[in-house]
Order: sequence, then structure tokens, then C-alpha cells
Amino acid sequence: MKTRKRIFDSSVYAVLIILSAVFLSPVFVILMNSVKSNFYISDEPFSFPRGEKFVGFENFVKGFVQSDFLRAFINSAFITVLSVAGIVVLTAMAAWYIVRVKNRFTKILYYLFTFSMIVPFQMVMYTMTFLAFELDLNSVLGIVFIYLGFGSGLSVFMFSGFIKSIPTEIEEAAVIDGCDPIRTFFMIVFPILKPTAITVAILNAMWVWNDYLLPYLVLGSGENRTLPVAVQMALTGGYGNKDMGALMAMLVLAILPIIIFYLFCQKYIIRGVVAGAVKG
Amino acid sequence: MAAIQFRNVAKRFDNGKVTVIPDLTFDIKDKEFVVLVGPSGCGKSTTLRMIAGLEDISDGELFIDNKKVNDVAPKDRDIAMVFQSYALYPHMSVYKNMAFALKLRKMPKKEIDEKVRWAASILEIEPYLDRKPRALSGGQRQRVALGRAMVRNPKVFLLDEPLSNLDAKLRTEMRSQITMLHKRLQTTFVYVTHDQTEAMTMADRIVVMDKGVIRQFDTPQKLYSEPADMFVAGFIGSPRMNFIECMITKKKDALYAEFADHIMRIPASKSKGLEKYENRSVILGIRPEEISAYSGGLNVQESCVINAKADIAEMTGGQVNIYFELGESRCIACVKTERKISAGDEVKLLFDCNSAHFFDKETTKAIACV
Amino acid sequence: MHKTLKKYFPVFVVPVLAAFLVSFLIPFVMGIYLSFTEFRTVDASEWVGIKNYISIFTQDKTFLNSLWLTVKFTVVSILSINIIAFSIALLLTRKLRGTDFFRTVFFMPNLIGGIVLGHIWSLIINGILGFFGVDITYDPSYGFWGLVVLMNWQMIGYMMIIYIAGLQNIPEHINEAAAIDGASPLRTLFSITIPMVMPSVTICTFLTLTNSFKLFDQNLALNGKSAETSLLALDIYKTFYDHTGLRLAEWHGIGQAKAVIFFLLVAVIAFVQLRATERKEIEQ
Repeated sequence: MKTRKRIFDSSVYAVLIILSAVFLSPVFVILMNSVKSNFYISDEPFSFPRGEKFVGFENFVKGFVQSDFLRAFINSAFITVLSVAGIVVLTAMAAWYIVRVKNRFTKILYYLFTFSMIVPFQMVMYTMTFLAFELDLNSVLGIVFIYLGFGSGLSVFMFSGFIKSIPTEIEEAAVIDGCDPIRTFFMIVFPILKPTAITVAILNAMWVWNDYLLPYLVLGSGENRTLPVAVQMALTGGYGNKDMGALMAMLVLAILPIIIFYLFCQKYIIRGVVAGAVKG
Repeated sequence: MAAIQFRNVAKRFDNGKVTVIPDLTFDIKDKEFVVLVGPSGCGKSTTLRMIAGLEDISDGELFIDNKKVNDVAPKDRDIAMVFQSYALYPHMSVYKNMAFALKLRKMPKKEIDEKVRWAASILEIEPYLDRKPRALSGGQRQRVALGRAMVRNPKVFLLDEPLSNLDAKLRTEMRSQITMLHKRLQTTFVYVTHDQTEAMTMADRIVVMDKGVIRQFDTPQKLYSEPADMFVAGFIGSPRMNFIECMITKKKDALYAEFADHIMRIPASKSKGLEKYENRSVILGIRPEEISAYSGGLNVQESCVINAKADIAEMTGGQVNIYFELGESRCIACVKTERKISAGDEVKLLFDCNSAHFFDKETTKAIACV
Repeated sequence: MHKTLKKYFPVFVVPVLAAFLVSFLIPFVMGIYLSFTEFRTVDASEWVGIKNYISIFTQDKTFLNSLWLTVKFTVVSILSINIIAFSIALLLTRKLRGTDFFRTVFFMPNLIGGIVLGHIWSLIINGILGFFGVDITYDPSYGFWGLVVLMNWQMIGYMMIIYIAGLQNIPEHINEAAAIDGASPLRTLFSITIPMVMPSVTICTFLTLTNSFKLFDQNLALNGKSAETSLLALDIYKTFYDHTGLRLAEWHGIGQAKAVIFFLLVAVIAFVQLRATERKEIEQ
């Protein structure tokens, strides 16, 4: 019995290890190719970067300079941080108001926000882009405002769900203790919302950071381009003869921040993503 | 340190469609411990929340310390409130919970510290000052909630069913703690509960409410001995008073109450108000604990002996609760007896008319005796 | 509170509401309206009634192809992703050491954005196909299976996490009781484990369903050039942006009408999901 269990366990391990290798191999291949010279990338994509094939960090330098990677990276980081901060704070405020002030208007608002979650982007793609240009929102700050609007559906929905479970007595105690609504929200309600706020922040950060179509349509592929747009432009666009080495380096640079972020906040990310899935 | 006056106060919800309190007028004296009691939905919590300023007053006037407060914000009313669920701030330590209101009022740190420690020592929660509420037991949380109100040194203490989430033993303990606190703080306490035992044991005076109306406002003793109507009579005291329909008849010089084959002479002291009910039926009320076991002998002139068949007999240590039927009414008697009584036994019970109450059948009001 | 808070509407709601109106609600209403018009730009539209909706099926050759492809892709993805994710979840809930490491590895691809993901796989798939002298754009079936592999790589970890949560919710003693009753491991799996994780199965099915159905970035990056492997979302995008010239207004109208149909399909899926989860909750 015992030996049978051990054999079984070992085979489970074997399966898991093979699967892990399969899962990691694409990242590994990119990593490998990012230090190979151009010729060998397209010709022998699966060979080891040995001897003459190995070019060190040359590709990274090229990738960095050629695509103005840093600029796109900073754009993406700036947009993501501001959008997420704005979404978390402002939708939490709106959700609190909607839950606590009960009337027909807030009820309609709640349904509208919930409804927006199921509408695919393509439905508003063209008209939204038009409006964004009309209202001069086609800037790095402008797109933050657009993300606030697009992110509000899921975020209001998730915050509302949690706020409904907070007893109103806590807020009444705050009022008696001397808080006005703003203080009640920021000193009492928002700290209580922290777990949901983390979830909302992670879900929105993943979305905004990786989003392609919205920033492509609104910001274009010029100097305001975000990282996914830059990657897409570099790998498909008309840069003439493609420098495969630089492109590989770019892919590595694009996924590196996410993987580092993931390794540090794994617990929150997994919990947040799953919470978002189950509720959304 | 403040009296509270309600002057024709009304509360309506949903743009006046639902009236919870039609017209409320009563006075709470300075330093008094007043308990608002009644069944759920009677408007007692709404009344308390109007004092707190958490509910608007639809009509009438409310005064705290002779100042009209209809439009005064809760924080400016100088009141503190203890909630049923304690409503502690979950992300703050016990210390911060208690200091929060003082901090908002920009009190110097040293003074805050003194106050918090003073309250904590009275309530014996000093060891927990750094803990978060979730690390405390129900009783401890309750004390923190009291502490949070105490540090404010308010004119009025409002307590909304503060003990209903505690187990029976803790409840008894906290009851005496709160009474002690009232003596010590020398401020006005307004306390809401649905539990008449709490009301009876703690209050200086009790407001009995039903459907937004005050049925009686008096001391616990008076509520018990002279209930104003059948509602109060039934609400105060446990088990509740027995109500039996009876006919008032006059024979020779005395009035008699006749019910279910029994007849009982009404003592002269109770006859006066009943004169005009001659040959009419009224409700006779008698408390279970005022029924005794009949052991024979005795002059039973102003009482009567009832032969009852015990449907259920509950032994509760010193006494037996006997459930029986009398005419149309189901009655309970709490009797001290040596005899073992079981369900189905025939028992002789003694009704003493001197402790009986009489109520008008239509208005349910008590029939005045004097 | 209620009354005081009510006055703070401008502070608490207006910022989000303004953004919501501009980026969603107004464009949505405009989108519905424009689907009944022909327009070169949004402010130059001409009412044509349901003509666009008819054109989708008569004039436009790509929509039905994309719809059929999307349905096929969705079905294959749902099956493969859920079966593999559930199997891995079973392996990882056997209380072996090191499961946290495996979990981390399997979940990781989920965080990489669709565009980057698509290009990584395009390199790898083309690398493999290179041995046979073909390219991913060469044959639509390569493109299709490429997308399936990519989708699996991205979504398996995610679904696995949900299944693990579901499996861990099964009380230990139920499996023990089944063992005492003489159920074989396989029997236990089908009679106890799978019925007990049905709520997770529902969630995962709908998640894969909507994600596959709405797939865009990955599709664009992996094989965006081929019309034959464009899923619905990409087809709508192309209808809007890949046309120029005189008939632009017409194509815009058709694109918007496609978008409305796409929205209705997604809405139906969401509605079915809502009903399905509601019923599950009642049963519990």
C-alpha cells in the first residue's frame, strides 16, 4: 500500500514537473532569444545562445533605444498608477453614496454600472473614440478619465457588494463622534473597505497595464503610446526590416515588471483575481 | 446633566406616507435613568434616534437642556450613544476607538490620554487598549462601546438595546455595571430595550410604548402595581398577567365578579370604579405569581378557589408553573408548593381579589379603583 | 446621515458619473443609434433603418465565418481549459509538498497581456512550423489551433485556482465516508468530487465562455492579418478600421450593427449565467 502510494506520488510529481516545463518554456524561449543574434532568432528559434549566437545584452540596448521603450514604459506606468488610484478612491466613494442614499436615482445608477460590465468594448469602441477626441481626452491624463469611466462598472459593483455588509451603525457612531460625510468616508468607511480596495486595485491594474485597443485608439502610436501599443507596433508595424533581437529584448522587458510584481504580491494577486472572477 | 423634552413630536417615513410616531409628548428629567420599552416596531428606537439626531423630526419640537435641537447636528447635541452591535471601528485599536471623538474635537493629546485611561480603568478594559475589536469577546466589546461614550462626558447617554447580543449571564452582569455607571456619571441615561426585565431592574422611570404611542410613563413599581391598561399589564411582569373575562354583579351590598362557574366578592376598595359596570362584562387581570395553592381552611370571602386541571406543570426549583384553562382563557399560575404536581393533575388554586386588576373590555384601560 | 450625505452628491458621485457618461453611457446610446445609420464620422450620419443588419448577412462575407469560428473556438477552449485545469487542480490538492511553487508557475501566464502573449506564441508557433516550411498565416487551421493553445496557456492557471478553492471546500469526511462505503477513487471522483465542485464548474465555464467569446488582443497579435482566423471582436474592429474610400460610411454602419449583435450575444450569455448561478444558490 505504502509503496503504491509512493509510486503514485512520484508520478504525480513527474507530471507536474513536465507541465511546469511546458508552461515556462515560452518565457524561456523568449529569454533565450533575447540574447541571441538576429540571424539565429528566426532561423533557429529553439537553439541555445552559445558561442557566436550569443550577443550579450546588445539586443536589450537596441530594444531600449530603438523603440523608445522607456517612454512607453513611463506612459504605461503613469496611466496605470493614476487610473487605479482614481478608480479605487472615486468608485468607492460613489458606491458608498449609492448604497447609503437609497432612492430611485441611485438604484438606476447601480443598475447602469452593473449593466456596463457585460457590454463588450467593441460596442462603444468607435463612438467613445470620437467623443474622446471631441472632448480633448486624447492625452495621458485624458485617458485616465476614460479608464475611470470604463473601470467604474466592475469597481462600483464590487464595492457596493461589500458596503452592503457593513452595518450602518458604525457610520452612525462616527456621525455622533463628530464626522461629516467626508470624514466618515475617509476615516471609517474606506479603511474598512481595504480588502475590497486591494482586489479592485489589482484587477484594474492588470487590465489597464495590459490594455491595448483603448490606448491605441485614443492615444495612438505616437509619443503617448503605451507599452502594449509599442510592442504591437514594433512587432507588426512598418519599421522596415525587423530587428528580431531588439524585439525579443522588448518582449522580455515588457513581461519582466509583471513577473516581478507577481512574485512579490502573489498572495494578493491570486486572491484578488479569484474574488473578482467569482463576483463578476 | 440635561433634561429632555418631547413636545408633540411626530415621525413619518417615505414622504409622510408611513407614520411611526404620531404625537409624542413627555419629559425626561435631568440625571434620570429612563428606559423606553415595548415590542419591536413600537417606535422606541426611532424615539432614541431622534434624540441622537440620526432621524429627522417630522413635526413637533425636541429640547435637550432647554435648547431646541430639531435642526442641530448629532455632533453638536452633546450626546453619546451605545449601539446594539457596538459599532466599534474595526480598523482601530480599543484606545483609538475611545479617543476618536475627542481627537475630532481637537482635544490635547494628554487630556485624551487621561480620559481614555480613566474610562478604561472604570470598565476594567485597560489590558486590551492596544487590541483590535475583533480580538475581544462580546462582553469586552460592549465595555469598549460604553467607554467610547463615557470619555465624551456627554450631557445625555443613549443606549440602544446594548445588551441584546450578550448571553444571559453576561447580560445580568452588565445590567448592574450600567446601573453603577449611571450613579457614578450623574448624567441623563436613555435606554432602549424590548426586555421588560432589563427595564424593571435598571430604570428610574419606564416609558412603555406601543405603535408609536406612550401607554404609560412611570416608575417600575407603579407599572407593576397599577398598570394603566391591558397592554402595560401584559407587557410588564413575566410570565404575563392572566386575563379572564368576567361579569360584574351586585348582590346585597357588594359587587361580585362571576366567571366560568366561579364567583368572587370584590373588596370595597376596588368597588368604586366598578359600580357602573354592573351587569356588564369586564376583564379581570391576575398575575401568575399572585395565585397561590389552596391548602384548605382559610376564610375565602374575597377570593375564590378554583379547581383547575394542569395541562402542563413546569418545575422551576422554588415554584411550579401550572398551565390551565379557565373558561375560555388559558392561564398560568406560579405556585409555591411542596406537593409534586404533574400534567393532568387536579389542583386547587386560590385567587385573591385584593390583588386583582380590572380593565374595561372596550378601551382596555384600567378601571380606576379610587 | 442619509440626508446630510445626500447633499454631497457632487463630491461622491459626480466624478465617476461624469467619466462613466463620457466613456460608456453616451457612446453606448450613440452606438445603438448609429447602427441604424450610415456614417463617415459620428457627426455625419444618415438614417438607413435596418439595412446594416441585413447587409451583415448579405453583403458582408466575414461575419458569419467569424461567428462560426468564434463558436468553435469557444467550445474547444471551454472543454480543453476546464478539463486540464480541473485535472491539475486535482493533482495540486493531494497535499504534496511544493504545490505552492506549481501554483505560482501555472498562474503566471494569466498576468501577461494579450498583445505580448500573442507575439510570444507567434514566434514559437512559427518557429515550430518553420521546420515544415509553413507559417501561421499559411493555413487557417494552424491559426485556429494556435489560438487554442495560447488560450489554454493563459487561462488554465486561472481556472485551476478556482477549482482548487472549490476542491478545498469539500469537507474531508465526505471522501472518507465514500472510502468506507467502498467507493473506488474513480467512483469517488465522479459521484462525490465533481458534483461537489459544480459551483466552480459553472463559474469557470462562464469565465472561459465570455473570455473566449470576447477575445481580441491575442487574436490580433497572433494572427491578426488573416481574415479567416478573425474572431468576432477582431472582425468588428476590421470592419471599422480596415476600410477606406467611398463606401466607408456603409462599412461603419455595418461595423456598428455587428457590434450591437455582438453585444446582444454577450448579454444573452451573461443573462443565462445569472440565471444559472441564481439557481445554484437556491439549491444550496
